[in-house]
Amino acid sequence: MTDLAQYIPAHRAKLRYIKDRLATVSITAGGTGVLLAILLIFFYLLYEVLPLFGSAEVEPGVQHDWAGEAPALLYVEEQGEVGLSVSAGGEAQFFRVEDASVISRRDLAAGHAPVTVIARDSAEGRLLALGHGDGEVTLARHDYRVTYPDDGRLITPSLNRLYADQVLRLGSGAVRALAVSDSNNGLLLVADLDGAGLRGLRYNREENFLTGEVTLEEEVLQLPSLAGQTAALYLGAGQRWLYRLDRAGYVTVLDISRVGDDGVVPIVATEPLFEGGGPLATSAMLLGNISLLAASEKGELAQYFMVRDAQGGNRLNRVRSFDTDGAIATQLLPEHRRKGFLLIGRQGELQLFHTTAHRRLYAAPLGIEGAAVAAIAPRGDALVAVSGGVLGQWQVHNEHPDVSWSALWDEVWYESYDEPAYIWQSSASNNDFEPKYSFAPLAFGTLKAAFYTMLLAAPLAICGAIYTAYFMAPALRRKIKPVIELMEALPTVILGFLAGLWLAPFIEDKLTGIFTLLVFMPVGILLFAYAFSRLPLSLRSRVPTGWDAALLMPVVVLIGYLSFALNDPMELTLFGGDMRLWITRELGISFDQRNSLVVGIAMGMAVIPTIFSIAEDAIFSVPQHLSDGSLALGATPWQTLVGVVLPTASPGIFSGLMIGLGRAVGETMIVLMATGNTPIMDANIFEGMRTLSANIAVEVPEAEVDSTHYRVLFLAAFVLFLFTFVFNTIAELVRQRLRSKYGSL
Amino acid sequence: MENHAIDIQALRRGSLKAEQDTPPTCLAVNGLNLFYNNDAQALYDIKLEIPRQRVTAFIGPSGCGKSSLLRCINRMNDLVDGCRVQGELLLDGEDIYHPRVDVASLRRRVGMVFQKPNPFPKSIYENVAYGLRIQGINKKRVLDEVVEKSLRAAALWDEVKDRLHESALGMSGGQQQRLVIARTIAVEPEVLLLDEPASALDPISTLKIEELIYELKSRYTIVIVTHNMQQAARVSDMTAFMYMGKLVEFDTTDNLFTNPARKQTEDYITGRYG
Repeated sequence: MTDLAQYIPAHRAKLRYIKDRLATVSITAGGTGVLLAILLIFFYLLYEVLPLFGSAEVEPGVQHDWAGEAPALLYVEEQGEVGLSVSAGGEAQFFRVEDASVISRRDLAAGHAPVTVIARDSAEGRLLALGHGDGEVTLARHDYRVTYPDDGRLITPSLNRLYADQVLRLGSGAVRALAVSDSNNGLLLVADLDGAGLRGLRYNREENFLTGEVTLEEEVLQLPSLAGQTAALYLGAGQRWLYRLDRAGYVTVLDISRVGDDGVVPIVATEPLFEGGGPLATSAMLLGNISLLAASEKGELAQYFMVRDAQGGNRLNRVRSFDTDGAIATQLLPEHRRKGFLLIGRQGELQLFHTTAHRRLYAAPLGIEGAAVAAIAPRGDALVAVSGGVLGQWQVHNEHPDVSWSALWDEVWYESYDEPAYIWQSSASNNDFEPKYSFAPLAFGTLKAAFYTMLLAAPLAICGAIYTAYFMAPALRRKIKPVIELMEALPTVILGFLAGLWLAPFIEDKLTGIFTLLVFMPVGILLFAYAFSRLPLSLRSRVPTGWDAALLMPVVVLIGYLSFALNDPMELTLFGGDMRLWITRELGISFDQRNSLVVGIAMGMAVIPTIFSIAEDAIFSVPQHLSDGSLALGATPWQTLVGVVLPTASPGIFSGLMIGLGRAVGETMIVLMATGNTPIMDANIFEGMRTLSANIAVEVPEAEVDSTHYRVLFLAAFVLFLFTFVFNTIAELVRQRLRSKYGSL
Repeated sequence: MENHAIDIQALRRGSLKAEQDTPPTCLAVNGLNLFYNNDAQALYDIKLEIPRQRVTAFIGPSGCGKSSLLRCINRMNDLVDGCRVQGELLLDGEDIYHPRVDVASLRRRVGMVFQKPNPFPKSIYENVAYGLRIQGINKKRVLDEVVEKSLRAAALWDEVKDRLHESALGMSGGQQQRLVIARTIAVEPEVLLLDEPASALDPISTLKIEELIYELKSRYTIVIVTHNMQQAARVSDMTAFMYMGKLVEFDTTDNLFTNPARKQTEDYITGRYG
């Protein structure tokens, strides 16, 4: 043995060693880096998403002695600094929350009969209505002006009477229950008076268009007399429904927008509120004045709103009930900016709920003695309560109550909907709207787009790959393959642009032609192939092996041309001139211009090269000696393909399909531009969809950072991540199985 | 549809009949020229007659065209792009290059074993049954019978009978090559083409293949291409020596190795070149 080292100079050996080390280190770093990057994305998404599923927290602050009268009504302004309390006698006082010191005081009953009831217009409104002992109603509005003198925030509260020059008198008895609604059209007051029953007054606002002077025109509502003792009156949004709750736990709904034949407002429904019966403990209207919340003395708590039934009538629907763990509510506090509410229990319990998410976020004792009167700040971050001469304050951390598993994936009965539904609607023009974060239509849209894409792309790409790799003449293959692979480099935004602006109107215009094409293309190709096989041998043998596809080109072009050229006459004879109309009218299928067909074609174009390229490589790399072995046994090329080549190539073909599917699921620009982005749940090929990815692209720019909406979009991204992760994992498992079965050649 | 089982019986009778009264020539090559890509000529005017139920060996240096000639016999050259054949190649008096010839059924009659063992990525059983399945024979009884008979004929039965349904890819190279031979004879071809069947195998496997060839020649016309002159001398009855695409000499093996008629042949078999 010669010493090998003497042939390699020392510096060479060292250099070689360094290069080898460098290669090892950089390759390891690269591989680990990729893994790390994916993990980081995963954890970042998780980090953004997790707060959605956390519970609320309530942190007690300092308690102070409450010097004034016990409040009947409490309010805290935006910053949680200044509060308003109104006593049962109508004594209003603004106070500083931090030390319970009084800012100003005013007796709202001054100059009027004693106050018998105090009402508010809505959860978030600052309109107070006071019912007096003589049937009169007075209105006041509290406002908070924020100024910044000397670089400090100064909140100046004010309380002003409304309609002070007008005497709003509903009758002669003392007001026992009162509801008020003030809108641009006018003021609506409904009250239950001692000895006089329900009384309603509407003041229609009329503006003199010459002088701009506003006059109120009084209109008396004829309300039926109802049995029982009225506990609460509420006016719904749009001033249509009047809810009257009695102490026994029954609700009567009146349609005050109509007048019956007898001139009286009709009763729409009268029914018990609680399954277990029992007297009403307390009630409230949820933000938006659409949903009614009611709690019974037995600890039941439920949400109700009006729905249209199948007969076109209206009924009050008990939408969902909440588990209070037996707590009996003394007060239900709707939040000011979302569809959540707080429950203050008789034993001093505090519970936080959200209606849409159907979720209880927090439950614990409030920590002060006796029955409290409480208020939640408009931002939902501060709670103030007065009980037994003590003013308590709490910080509430409840950022994302509106998301739960059921809100994301189950059918939810949203306000004003006739039945539970899967809806995605993250924003609206008004503030009191109910955000609808159902992922179901988005996930459905994603899968729908992927399905129609694969329906087009998978057969075309795989058959194309089989033909190109196995039957085509090598010279032709060398031209075809790079061209199809070049298609992959086409930016999807261009495909989407073409699909949305050219293909969608084209398909709408030539719909008959498209379907003619779908039928006649395969038939025509088969017919041509048959005719070719019947040609005399001398003619047939002139076509070199593997070039037969080239003969098909003119056939394909001709069938394509004819299909579209004959579009109009065919449409006229078969569909009475307009196939789109025919589909809508005769088949009852709705038709959107930007529909799944367009997406399928456009995204198919994007996915075909991916599948084609991988599948073609897989088929082409099946060793020649295998197919030779099969052919030498007397198998026809087709038998060889099916029996030997395809099974051997199946791992590659399968990964091609799955990578294509992964791409179809994650594709954004094409679906964004080629569909109407309507989040609907309908498999109809003539309607569009909204996919998870397109949804993120559309909404992220307008989502407020760290808001629920923002985090829900991250959750959508996370779901998308899981989708592709699951697809890829399945693909890898199947591929490995196939490989162990057919591989190692 | 014809009953294929009966078809096979008929074939067997046919080959028996052929043994008795057909002329001793199985394959007649008559003025065969082979071109690749129209200009490069690989074979020049080959003329030879391959006797029935004998082993005929093609020898010659690399690139002399012996494999090309072999692949002409079952038209595997058709698969090569731009390949063109002139002249006649008669199998039992029929021109196999006639345009009406069905290549698939020709290849069933002329089986071929390649240099590199190429079992399909299937079980041992399915490998052997493949040739029958593609003819539409799926009866388990028939398949079982043929698989066993073929594996026995290929001297492989005892080694694999307990693992018929395991992947053929787990076998050794020599076993794989014998499996390929079993697979080929399962369809009862008339002619067996062996393209350097032992060149990728170790000496013991080579020996087994050679023994197998010896046993098979009583039933098949065997044409073998080999690099190994000892092998040609051991297994063949007739030997053709080719050089530069031309047939230099074709004679009985004994004659060709002991008393070559041409100087070129003698130079090659004595190891002067090649």
